[in-house]
Amino acid sequence: MKSRHVAVIAKKEFFSLYSEKTILLAVLLQVFIALFSSFLMVGLTSMYDPASLSGYSHFRYNIAYSGNQTPLLGYLEGSSDVRVRQIDLSTAIELLKERRVSAVIYVPDTPLNAEEPVKITLYTLENDLQGAVVDVRLKNTFLQYEQDLRTIRAARLDVIPIPVQIPVSAGSGDFYGFVYGLLVPLLVFLPGILSSALVIDLITEEYQHGTLETLVSTPVTFAEMVWGKVLICTLLVPIQSGAWLLLLMANHISIESPILILIQVTLSSLLLILIGAVCALYYRERTAAQFVFSTALVVLLLLVLALPFNPLNLVARLAVGIPGIEQWIVLCAVSFSVILVGLGVQRYADRIGKIS
Amino acid sequence: MGAGRDIATIARWELKKTFSVMSRNVLPVAIVLFILLVLVTGFAAESGLHIQDGIYRLGVDDSRIASLFTPDTRFSVFITTDNALTQNSDAYDVIIINGVAHATPTDKARSALNALARDYTQYRNGVYTSEKDLFAAYPLWIDTQSVQSELNFSATQNGQYVQVAPGTGGAAPQGTVEQVPTPSPTLAQTQDELRDELAASSQENTQVSRYTNILSPGESAMGSFVTPDQLSPPLPFDSIILVFVFIFPLYFTSQFFMMSIMNERTMRQGEALLSVPAQTLSIIIGKMLPYFFGMIAICAGITVYIKAPPIVLLPLIPIIIFFLANALIIGMLARSFKELSFISIFFSTVATSYLFFPSIFANVHVISLVSPLTLIVLTIQGTAWSVSDYIYSTSLFWLTAIVLFYIAAKNFNEERLFSEKKILPRIREFFAGILPERYPAAALFFLAMFSIPFVFMAQMMGLVVFFNLPLPYSLILLLVLAALIEELAKAAGIYTLFRRDPASFTWPTVAIASAATALGFLIGEKLLLFATLTQISSSVFGSVLFLSLGVLWLPLLLHFVCVLIVASSLKVWGKKAFFPAIIVATVLHCCYNLYFILGWLR
Repeated sequence: MKSRHVAVIAKKEFFSLYSEKTILLAVLLQVFIALFSSFLMVGLTSMYDPASLSGYSHFRYNIAYSGNQTPLLGYLEGSSDVRVRQIDLSTAIELLKERRVSAVIYVPDTPLNAEEPVKITLYTLENDLQGAVVDVRLKNTFLQYEQDLRTIRAARLDVIPIPVQIPVSAGSGDFYGFVYGLLVPLLVFLPGILSSALVIDLITEEYQHGTLETLVSTPVTFAEMVWGKVLICTLLVPIQSGAWLLLLMANHISIESPILILIQVTLSSLLLILIGAVCALYYRERTAAQFVFSTALVVLLLLVLALPFNPLNLVARLAVGIPGIEQWIVLCAVSFSVILVGLGVQRYADRIGKIS
Repeated sequence: MGAGRDIATIARWELKKTFSVMSRNVLPVAIVLFILLVLVTGFAAESGLHIQDGIYRLGVDDSRIASLFTPDTRFSVFITTDNALTQNSDAYDVIIINGVAHATPTDKARSALNALARDYTQYRNGVYTSEKDLFAAYPLWIDTQSVQSELNFSATQNGQYVQVAPGTGGAAPQGTVEQVPTPSPTLAQTQDELRDELAASSQENTQVSRYTNILSPGESAMGSFVTPDQLSPPLPFDSIILVFVFIFPLYFTSQFFMMSIMNERTMRQGEALLSVPAQTLSIIIGKMLPYFFGMIAICAGITVYIKAPPIVLLPLIPIIIFFLANALIIGMLARSFKELSFISIFFSTVATSYLFFPSIFANVHVISLVSPLTLIVLTIQGTAWSVSDYIYSTSLFWLTAIVLFYIAAKNFNEERLFSEKKILPRIREFFAGILPERYPAAALFFLAMFSIPFVFMAQMMGLVVFFNLPLPYSLILLLVLAALIEELAKAAGIYTLFRRDPASFTWPTVAIASAATALGFLIGEKLLLFATLTQISSSVFGSVLFLSLGVLWLPLLLHFVCVLIVASSLKVWGKKAFFPAIIVATVLHCCYNLYFILGWLR
């Protein structure tokens, strides 16, 4: 196998990708997925986590309180989230319907130490975002009151849970978990998945467009042609993943070991690309090859994700700066599989090349 | 009658061809892969997904406490002495000494604390649920009641606008006060029923079971009662499972249709098909029919499997048609397999997010009805929806699909199918295919009118994407995007005409063409607005998108001037001026909208 021939094929495919602007679409796609997933997570968690809604957290919702006087009223009055007033139930509900208050609480006169629980009624508007936000704001106050009642009734408990005091953290801590636990692994592995679909297109296209004979009549062998296509698809992976890492860093999301991450990603992607190439060589037809490959990909991804120390997890660990010996073991295992499948591709392509 | 027989014949051919392609080679592999998929899903459900394993380090001085947190794989738990922990506290994100957690002031530590707090709550709830005296462990119950508001879907419903200005809450109600019965102070359930429910709901939070429950919701014995801890609405990612269950198989199947169209085009294989003495529409429908029924069958199978009511199929039909129409167009447009792959992946991502994003607001916000998926969520929950809801959420899907089919049918000929031009000229050719040369003004009128569903869809997409940005930015971005999309849609026809025959582009033609486009656009907009979108259009977001509801001549003038800018720029400076002209028109459009919205919002 001559490396010059492989490079020629890789270059040809690169220019064809470039002239079709396909890469542009691929990049656009990734940007869209990233945008979408961050809107999803960040937007929603901030909506459901009032502490992180910094811009709106100063707003105090009007709450109507009716029924009996309890310590709960005191807690609500002390809360900076709500502004509470005592109104009788029927009037309060009418005010709620007119959106003059955001919620109505009714508290019965159950004694604090009674056999039965204290059952309070919370009225909010149906199908309304505001209702959801108010629910979240009231939750802490209710939890506080529940803890009080629990302490009063503590003598009736059989087992007391092991006490652990956990300070309430300020700001939205979930953002961190989302970025490192999902966004980073997703973004750096996306190019690999796209590349493995790309290699199938590149190979089956030669078969289905009848361009194979022309290619084989040149000094380039069949195996060299396959490796050229695998090469260009593989090269695209670290470029795109690296760009993602740079973009994340530019957005003040620190990534600890970018080079190690790129090595992990490129090798795993190479494995996927080789599997794609096997599918394409075997079926020689895009529909079947893409179908079988994408189904196999789902199976493989699910399996890998269910295993501890999978490459995605390793990327997350590397990004937060907790490297370990495990990454080298996994890297070796992936490399070994790459060599194994690579040899398979080489032999298979050689055989096909001889027949045709 | 003849058309029916043609369609049947072509459908039979298509079926035979697909099966010969998906021959003996694919089927066994597919079966093996499917069995593997089931096994792997089971395995993943058992072992959980390990993406975030060990990203937090937790130092603990008490092995009893450590045992509470070791089941959470996100934590690497280290047990050592107090002294070792305090001296070496930098090595951990969180340390727990004498039952008190300390964290370093970093984002990571805060995130770890959040996870820790959630784990601890779950553990504590587990202990409380097994208490003999349940009402000592859970002394406070909240009965959540919802009240229907009389002011429907006004701007206040965004949750961000709350019109209750501080201080005005003291006023007496304006309406008549109805007597509301005092709620009874007792729970309707026994301790044991509640205990079972609590145990079940705490388990739901673990891993995958939480998602599987969505598809077959059991009747809750608790009714509207919750403990304070359960009060927060669950993160509404539940409908994503519906995307996986219903939409992905549809996407897969539409791929086959796309590929079948593409195959007709490679190496001119479709010539035989085109020479069949049947109308192009019959050919297209015939080719599509097997996939359509296949998709319906898949959906029906899934519906039966998850025991959902069969009515969920109704909102799925427009989605299927929409997917097939897009598959047809993409299959006809793409030049090569790689282009096909990327366009189709891109399309499916956008379509999926369009379907998914609004549906997470099901039960929370009316905007959710933009997506037919919301109807499915509602059906599975057992909430009824009306015919007008159905029309509201599916009309855009129907309309766009029909327009796409029309474009495809007009262009389904040798010249278009076998040409190897670049993608943008091809799209222009497709437009040219539906613009008859003899009546350019009438053609532009109808083109502008039929572009409306697409414009609305694109704007809706903008709406759902920008929905969660802080308010001033979301409005501004939406404003610019809406104007840009409208200008592009209006200019498409003019540009096509110009490229086809620049010589015929005289000043009178420019004026007539602009007027025809503006009129068509306005009429289409109004028709669709009155038909469907009245709910959205009365919100603040709607006012940005579909501002021009009231006065008619002003928007007409606006549309006319904007199109005229583009058309005359083309006339004077040629095709290079297209994008600068679009930008100028967009700026003008934005200014117009801003003026009116600023007036509107004061």
